[in-house]
Amino acid sequence: MTETRTSPVSAPTPGDGSPGTGALSPLGITGWSRWGWRQLTSMRTALVLLFLLALGSVPGSLLPQQGIDPAAVQQYYTSHPALAPWLARLSLFNVFAAPWFAAIYLLLFVSLAGCVVPRAFRLARSARALPPPAPRNLGRLPQAARHQTALEPAAALAAATAVLRQHKFRLRTGDGWVSAEKGYRRELGNLLFHLALLALLGAVGLGGMFGYKANRLLVSGTSFANTVTALDEFHPGRLVSSADLQPFTIALNRFTASYVTSGPDRGQPSDFDAYLSYSAQPGSPVHRDDLRVNHPLNLDGVKVYLIGHGYAPVFKITDGTGKVVFNQPVPFIAVNTAGLTSEGVIKVPDARPYQLGFAGVFLPTAVDVGGTLESVFPAPIAPRVSLVSYKGNLGMDSGPPQSVYQLNTAGLTRLPVAPRPLAVGQSIKLPGGAGTLTFTGYRQWISLAITYDPGQVPALIAGLAALAGLLLSFFIRRRRMFVRAYAGPDGRTVLDVGGLARSDPAGGFEEEFAGLADALRAACAGSSTPTTTPQGERD
Amino acid sequence: MAVLAAAAALAVAGCAGGSIAANTPASNGQSFVAGSPGTTVFKAGAGPLAPAVAGPVVGGGKLSLAAYRGHVVVLNFWGSWCTPCREEAPDLAKLASDFTASGVRFVGIDIRDSPPSAEAFTSDFRIGYPSLSDPGDNLALNFRSTVPPAGIPTTLVIARSGRITARVIGGVTYTGLKSLIQRAAAQPG
Amino acid sequence: MVVNQGLSHLSDQFLIVTVALYSLAVLAFAADFAFGRRSPAPAAAEVPELVPAGVSAGAGAPGAGGSGAVAPGAVAPGSGAADGAASGVDGGAASGADGGVDRGAARGLSRGSQAGQPAGLWVRAGISVTALGLAAHIVGVIIRGFAVHRVPWGDMYEFVIAVSCVAVLFFLGLMIKYRPYYLGLFFMAPIVIIMGLAQTVIYTPAGPLVPALNSYWLAIHVTAITLASGTYVVGAVLAVVYLFAERHARRVAAGLPVRNTEVFRLLPSAARIDQFAYRTVVFAFPLWTFGIMAGAIWADQAWGRYWGWDPTETWAFITWVVYAGFLHARVTAGWRGRRAAYIQLVGFGCLLFNLLGVSIFITGLHSYAGLS
Repeated sequence: MTETRTSPVSAPTPGDGSPGTGALSPLGITGWSRWGWRQLTSMRTALVLLFLLALGSVPGSLLPQQGIDPAAVQQYYTSHPALAPWLARLSLFNVFAAPWFAAIYLLLFVSLAGCVVPRAFRLARSARALPPPAPRNLGRLPQAARHQTALEPAAALAAATAVLRQHKFRLRTGDGWVSAEKGYRRELGNLLFHLALLALLGAVGLGGMFGYKANRLLVSGTSFANTVTALDEFHPGRLVSSADLQPFTIALNRFTASYVTSGPDRGQPSDFDAYLSYSAQPGSPVHRDDLRVNHPLNLDGVKVYLIGHGYAPVFKITDGTGKVVFNQPVPFIAVNTAGLTSEGVIKVPDARPYQLGFAGVFLPTAVDVGGTLESVFPAPIAPRVSLVSYKGNLGMDSGPPQSVYQLNTAGLTRLPVAPRPLAVGQSIKLPGGAGTLTFTGYRQWISLAITYDPGQVPALIAGLAALAGLLLSFFIRRRRMFVRAYAGPDGRTVLDVGGLARSDPAGGFEEEFAGLADALRAACAGSSTPTTTPQGERD
Repeated sequence: MAVLAAAAALAVAGCAGGSIAANTPASNGQSFVAGSPGTTVFKAGAGPLAPAVAGPVVGGGKLSLAAYRGHVVVLNFWGSWCTPCREEAPDLAKLASDFTASGVRFVGIDIRDSPPSAEAFTSDFRIGYPSLSDPGDNLALNFRSTVPPAGIPTTLVIARSGRITARVIGGVTYTGLKSLIQRAAAQPG
Repeated sequence: MVVNQGLSHLSDQFLIVTVALYSLAVLAFAADFAFGRRSPAPAAAEVPELVPAGVSAGAGAPGAGGSGAVAPGAVAPGSGAADGAASGVDGGAASGADGGVDRGAARGLSRGSQAGQPAGLWVRAGISVTALGLAAHIVGVIIRGFAVHRVPWGDMYEFVIAVSCVAVLFFLGLMIKYRPYYLGLFFMAPIVIIMGLAQTVIYTPAGPLVPALNSYWLAIHVTAITLASGTYVVGAVLAVVYLFAERHARRVAAGLPVRNTEVFRLLPSAARIDQFAYRTVVFAFPLWTFGIMAGAIWADQAWGRYWGWDPTETWAFITWVVYAGFLHARVTAGWRGRRAAYIQLVGFGCLLFNLLGVSIFITGLHSYAGLS
C-alpha cells in the first residue's frame, strides 16, 4: 500500500493519461465560465470580497447617510458644495442601498453558496464513508506514540479497537491496522453557519419587501389610526401598499417625564412614561399600556416604540374680525437637550384680514441668565413662550407643500410688537387690528416609531443557527487515530499509535491524543505469558 | 454631567441617529405623507363599494354618507394646514356649486384639524358643502379595505350605486374633476 | 436610584491600586529579562526522533516557525541556554505524548515549563503581583457596580476598565496553563498604559443610566462585547509579538544580522505564538457574533429596528467581517503566517475604532462616551 497523506485530492502528474504537456486547447465559453466560477467560489475571492465589504462600509459610517439623518446630509451639501454632488453620484450618502455595495455582498453570497452547497452534498454523500486506511509509517504523523505489549498482534488490535469504539470513533479495520475517525459534526457546523448566513440575507430581504416603517408625532389628548394619511413618515417595503397597514388606533392619554433634580446629573431624564389607550381594529376592545423606552407595544405583529418627546404649547388666536381661528397645541421641537428649549412656528392661513404667522421658542423653566432668557431645567416649572409675529402671505395657498416646523417669511412682514415672553394666560395684541394671540397652556407630545418586519423572526432564527454552527465548527475537532500492531524484533508486539487533527481551531488534540494513547496502552497491558487470551488482560 | 445629559437625551430622543430623527418627527416636516399623485379610474360597476361613513360635521351637526345613496358623491380628504388642499379648494367650491343643480353631492373629510381652523378654512374658501370631522382618523380607517386615501389631498368619485368610480391622489383641477364627475353621472344607478 | 458616591470613590481607589500593582508586575517581568538566571537545558540529542511532518499549519508543527533554525547543542552557560531549550520545546510540541518523552515538555509553551526548570524569582514575583492586581481590579469593578446599582459597564470608562480586566484574566489563565512567562512584559505594559489613560483622560464619575440604556439587555450585550474585546486584546498582543518573532526567525534562517536574540530565545516559537493568537480569535469570534446579535435584539426593543447602520453597528460589522477574513486567511494557502497576523491587527484596529473612536469622533444613537 502506498503511503498516503490524508488529503483526498491528488495532483495530476504527467503520464497519468492527460493529453500531454504540449499546446493546450483554447477554452471555450464553457471553459471560461467554469474558470470564472471556480475563481468566484475560491477562498481567495471570498477573502477579497470580505475585505471589500468591510472597506465599503467605512464611508457609510463616516459620511452622513440619507436613511439615517437626512438633515445632516443637507448640512454636508451646504458645507461642501463642490464635493457633495460627486459623493452623491457614487452613492456615498446612501452606501448600504448603493448598487456597488449590493454587488459586493451579492457576489460574496454567490461565492459562499457556490462553495457551501456542493460541500453540503459531499457531506451528505460521505456521511457514511469510512476513515481512510492507516498510513504505513505512523511515526510521521503530528502525534505519535509507540508501546510494547505482550499480547498477540491480533489481540492487541482487538483491544485497541474496543477502546476506540468506546470513545465513539468510526472504525475501519484492515490487516494489522485499525483506522478511526471522529468529529464529523464539525463540517456540519461549518455548513450550518454559512447556510444560516444565506438564510439571514433572505430574511432581511423578506423584511425589506413586506415590511414598513412609519413615524407619528402624537400630542397628549389626541389619537391617531394607522393609515397613510395619519402618519408623518411612511417607508413601505417594495411590496407593501397602503391597504396592508394594520388598522390599529392609539390615543395618548398622558405623558410624564421625570428628571434627576439634584446632584451632578441634574437635568438628565430618569424615566419616560406614555400612557396609551389602543385598540387593534375599529370595534375591538380598548386596552391600556404604559409605553416606555426599551418596552415597545406589540400590536397585531406591529411594534410601536417611544422614540422622542417634547412640548406642545397651546395657543388661541383670534383674527382681525374677532373670530377664533386657531385653538390647538403646536408641537415645538427641542433644540437644546439640557433645558429642552424648543422651537416652533404657528401658521394661521385662514385669519382675516391678514394671514398670520408666528415663530419662537418655548422654555420649560425660563430663567434670566445675564439678560437673555434660557431654560435651565427640562421640566415645565416656569414655562414661557417668546414669539415673533408676522402677517401677510404664508405661501400656503399654492405651490409645494411646506414644512409645518418652518415659516417661509418671504411673503410676510414682521409685526412691530414689543418682545415680551409670555407666561401661561398672557396674550399678545397684534398691531393694526391683525388679531390677538393667547398662550393658554401647554401639553407634551411623543414621537412614535411604528415598524412591521415579517423577516425579523426568521432573521433571529438564522442568527441563532449561525451561532450554533459557528460553535460546532470551532469546538469540535475532526480527528483520526491509527493503530498498527505487529510483531517486534524482540518477540513482543509493537503497538504504533498515530493521531492527526484535520482541523483543531480551539486546540486540545494533544491532550486528547495523550489520553487515548494511555488508554490504548492500558488496554493492551498483557500478562507475561504471550499465549493466553487477551480478554482477561483488559482493564 | 451636562454632557451625560446630552448623550442621554440624544439616545432617548434618537437624536442625530435614526430615521427616528433629531427630534424632528417628520423628516420632510410636512406632517403628512404625500402620496404619489395620480388618478385611478374603475370600470363601471367594478369599483368597490364606498363604506358608509358618518359622524359630526365641521361647524356642527351630523352627516351620514348613506343618506346620499342614489346621488353621485364627490368625497374629498383635506386639511386646512395642507398646501395642495388649499390650492384645490377654490376649484372644489366652484364645482360643488356648479353641480348642485344636477344632484351631485360634495362631502369633505377633514383630517387632523381642530374645529376653529376647520371652520376658518371653510368660511375662507366659501366651501358650501359639509365636511365630516375626522381628527382621530377613524373615518379614513373605514376606507382601508376599499380604496385607501394614500395621502392627502385625495378625492373619491362615487357613483349612484355607491361604488367608487375614480380616485385622485393629489390636488384636483377643475376640468379634470369635472370630467370624472360627468363620467360617474353617466353611469346607470 | 441614587448613586453611592462613597462606593464610587472606593472603586476608584481600588483601580488606582490595580494600576500600581500592574506597573510593578511590568517592572518585575522586565527585571527577569535583564537579571534572570537560567540553568542550562538538557542536550538536544536526548530529544527523540519523532519529527512531525506538519500537516496543518499552526497545529503545533514548528516547521513554519524559524526556531528550528536555532542551533541545538551545547551552549555557553549564561547566554540563556535557550537554544537547546528551543529545540526541546519544538521536539516536545511535535512529539506529543510518547512513552519516552516527558509529557510536561510536550505541553510547554516556554522554557520555564520544562521538567526541572523552575520559573525564576522575578517571573514568580511578576505573576504574583499581576494576580494581586487582578484581584484589586475585580474588586474595583464590582464595587463600582454596587455604587451605580447596575452592571458596571455602562459608559466608556467603565467599559475600558472591564475590558482590560477580562484581558488580564485571560492572560493570567494563559500564563498558568501554558506558562509563556516571557510574554508578561509585552502584555502588561500596554494594559498599564490603557488603564492609566482610562483613569485620566476618559474617567467619568459614577452616574445613573439614561432610560434608553436601562434594560437587562445591557448586561447581556455589553458583557458579551466586553468579554470578546478583552480576548481580542490578548490576541492582538500575541499577533504583534508573533510578527517580531517571525521576522527574527526569518532573518536568522537567512543568515542576516539580528538584534535582541536574547529576548527571542526566551519566547515561544513563532508558530506557537501564532497558534495562540489564532485560538484567542477562535474564542472571541463567537462571543463577538453573539454580542452583535444581542445588540440587535436590544436595538429592536429600544429603537424599533434590529439593524440601522448606525456607526457603531457598522463598525462592529466591519470588525466582524475583518476577523472573519482572518479566519478564512488562516486556511488559505499563501495567507497564513504574517499576512494573517496583519489581518488580525487590522481587525483589532477596527475594534478599537468601533469601541472608542466612534463614540469620540462620530455621534450616533450609540453615543455613550460621556465626553465633552
